[in-house]
Amino acid sequence: MEIAAIQTHGLTRRFGELTAVDDVTFSVAPGQFFGFLGPNGAGKSTTIKMLTGLLEPSAGTVEILGKPFSAAALDLKRQIGVVPEGMALLGRLTATEYLHFVGRMYGLDAATTNQRTEELLEFMQLANETRKLVTDFSHGMQKKLAMAAAVIHGPKVLFLDEPFEGVDAIAAGMLKNMLTGMISRGATIFLTTHVLEIVERLCSHVAIISKGRLVAFGSIDELRAGVASALPGVEQGQRFTLEEIFLAILGADGHQESTQELSWLA
Amino acid sequence: MAGVTRVGVNGTSGGVLGREARTQYAAMARMRWRMFVNGLRSIHGLLDLGATGIAWLFYSVFGLGFGLGLCAAAYSLASHSSWQYLPILFWVMSFLWLMFPVLVASFQEQSDLGILLRFPVHFGSYFLLYLISGLMEASTIVGVLCCLGVWFGIVMARPDLYLWAMLGLAVFAAFNILLVRAVFAWIDRWLSQRKTREIVGALFMVLILSMQLMNPAIWQHGHQRQGRLRQRQQIEQLLAEPWVKTADEVQRWLPPGLAAVALGQAAEQQPKPALESLGVMGLFLLGAGSVLGLRLRAEYRGENLGSAPARKKPATRPGKTMLVRDKAAEREGEDRLGESKSNAPAPIAAIIEKEIRSLPRTLPLLYAVGAPMVLVLVISGSFIRGASHGHMPLLSLPLCMFFAQIGFRQLFANSLGTEGPGIQLYFLCPTPMRTVLLAKNLFHSAVFVLVLVIAGFLATLRLGQPDGMVVAATVAWFLFVLPCSLAAGNIFSLTMPFRVNPGRISRQPGSQASALLSLVMQAGMVGVGAAVFELCSIGGMLWLAVPIFLALAAIAVFAWVRILGNSDEIANRNKDLLIATLMKAE
Repeated sequence: MEIAAIQTHGLTRRFGELTAVDDVTFSVAPGQFFGFLGPNGAGKSTTIKMLTGLLEPSAGTVEILGKPFSAAALDLKRQIGVVPEGMALLGRLTATEYLHFVGRMYGLDAATTNQRTEELLEFMQLANETRKLVTDFSHGMQKKLAMAAAVIHGPKVLFLDEPFEGVDAIAAGMLKNMLTGMISRGATIFLTTHVLEIVERLCSHVAIISKGRLVAFGSIDELRAGVASALPGVEQGQRFTLEEIFLAILGADGHQESTQELSWLA
Repeated sequence: MAGVTRVGVNGTSGGVLGREARTQYAAMARMRWRMFVNGLRSIHGLLDLGATGIAWLFYSVFGLGFGLGLCAAAYSLASHSSWQYLPILFWVMSFLWLMFPVLVASFQEQSDLGILLRFPVHFGSYFLLYLISGLMEASTIVGVLCCLGVWFGIVMARPDLYLWAMLGLAVFAAFNILLVRAVFAWIDRWLSQRKTREIVGALFMVLILSMQLMNPAIWQHGHQRQGRLRQRQQIEQLLAEPWVKTADEVQRWLPPGLAAVALGQAAEQQPKPALESLGVMGLFLLGAGSVLGLRLRAEYRGENLGSAPARKKPATRPGKTMLVRDKAAEREGEDRLGESKSNAPAPIAAIIEKEIRSLPRTLPLLYAVGAPMVLVLVISGSFIRGASHGHMPLLSLPLCMFFAQIGFRQLFANSLGTEGPGIQLYFLCPTPMRTVLLAKNLFHSAVFVLVLVIAGFLATLRLGQPDGMVVAATVAWFLFVLPCSLAAGNIFSLTMPFRVNPGRISRQPGSQASALLSLVMQAGMVGVGAAVFELCSIGGMLWLAVPIFLALAAIAVFAWVRILGNSDEIANRNKDLLIATLMKAE
């Protein structure tokens, strides 16, 4: 039996009376490009924080590459890369200094760190900005730097929280190529984003979380078939987009389109 | 992963001092160094560097002063073999160690190690780095200088005790370093939730006021006794009281007492009991380390305090400040933009309302405003001897009131610090920055006046009724101090901002330059005040102080209005700095 790249059992996180993530169980196979979707406040970022050791679950377990995170946190942190919410950059460093710091923190030797820093800055088209402080970077440049920092140590599993937000079309295309290249070389990518077109184009499997609970899980084709069978009056062969699947599933979960008319708006 | 060269992996990492950990320490050190060097690229960074140097000089001078005093006291006690009084010195040091970080919180830029959690850093390394970052703090400098003072004092009187003194003081210093870190780490934990913060804030204010109100009664009791007994007899009588004996027995089992007792036993050639006392101290050291470790372990596992969301409110209860109001049309007389019917202009009222709500939830500021009230007690205590026939000495009222408002420096000089990412709103909305600052100034002025009234009332309770002319001159002085502080504070707020974490007293970022310059401003204002008061009273014309202060106040108000008028220009010039500094989460 193949060991899952990511496996959760009953993952739960409570903040006081609020349960942000409620009994979430799923698994992601190695080499999969996995999309984790949900409306705002559904619990996506909380889940990703628990999967990467930034937040302790209130209940449940996380296994990465077959090892429980709680027992092998150090070893697993060496094998995963993260672009966290907020990017966790250090504004008063230059891009080179930041990547050098991250590489050394992941245990790479100086020569490897320097070489990869150069290559990544070149790839991300940041090589001409080496004098600039990170705080002076545009949002898109910061995203590219955060992505570079997440992959500098060659992770086997990559967690990306809204990696394409604020990134221009050219850079987004470049990043997508890099990510699909990683997948073809056996890495696993766990992606959260609100841009459903990107998920549809890149991901083979998705999960949808709503109000902290997992409401859908499977390949996009499986979800498509599920929605087609659940909705009345669907013609045979009708192909749903991921956006339609998403809206159909969330509509069934109690999310309603607002009927409030803002009459005072021009 | 082919071809990856890692240091210290494959079983060679070797824990907190292994090769991998050492590489990480080097990376951290290099990162801090580069951040420091890069910080010097801007004027703000250079100002901060200068201010840091002056602040460290201040800590060193303060520590040396205390150290010298403790040295003399330790020498005197050791040369007279009065070891039973040595615990007093150790308790003073412990108190100083614990209180100093809070007193100088806004002068220190403290690092948050949360950034390390995503890297494969051992818990031991995380713990060690946390301790090392604690060593760089002012309280450690002052504490260590005090310990050195006590060591020198004992060794000068009893050279044979140099090893014992070194050992005892080293364990004592290590305990205090761990204790301070543990206490503040736990306080941060308790303050991470808004409700707890509000409860602690309210309790804190009640405590401060209770101390002040109880004090006159205690002083009255002490004053009557002072008339009957001479000082020495009084001390002897105090030491003979049963509760003092009980307290002495108890304190002997606590770290400051244990350290002093160990030294006393060593001095009396009782090495075994001395070692036992140090052993018990070692247990306290382990205890403090464990308590700190417990907290850091939770942080290390991913207890992200900052990420705890507020409780959800019932969906049926509409927010008071909702932009989308479905019942808006029902409200007569309100136009389509939803303007407030309050007498104050809408943005000013909105900002003041926000400030009223956020101040009780921002413990560092609440502490800054409330804690100096303790100084009323201290300052008035030094004037008590001068108080006679129920009348207070000349400068006591203005000085008590001045020290009560000393913490307002943090509000005035960084009035945008609590906004965080919300600073963007002020640049997006059609409200000019001068309106924003005006609203904040008005709110801060109201709290300022409230604190002064309470301080004046408490000083009157302790020292007796002040002279009418002193009250008039004091009011006139504060009419000068307030606009002066607001004017300078607005400039500092726009040019040297720093983000305030509402849930933390320790591990706050800070701007050394802003803290130091605003302190210099305060020193200048107290200097001007004292000079005018003294000169006018020497000439027997205290009434003259009133017009002088009023004239200065008019100049200060003029400056404040001018700066307020130019605040949009200054804000726009510093827009990038303001947004970047207040939004950053490093």
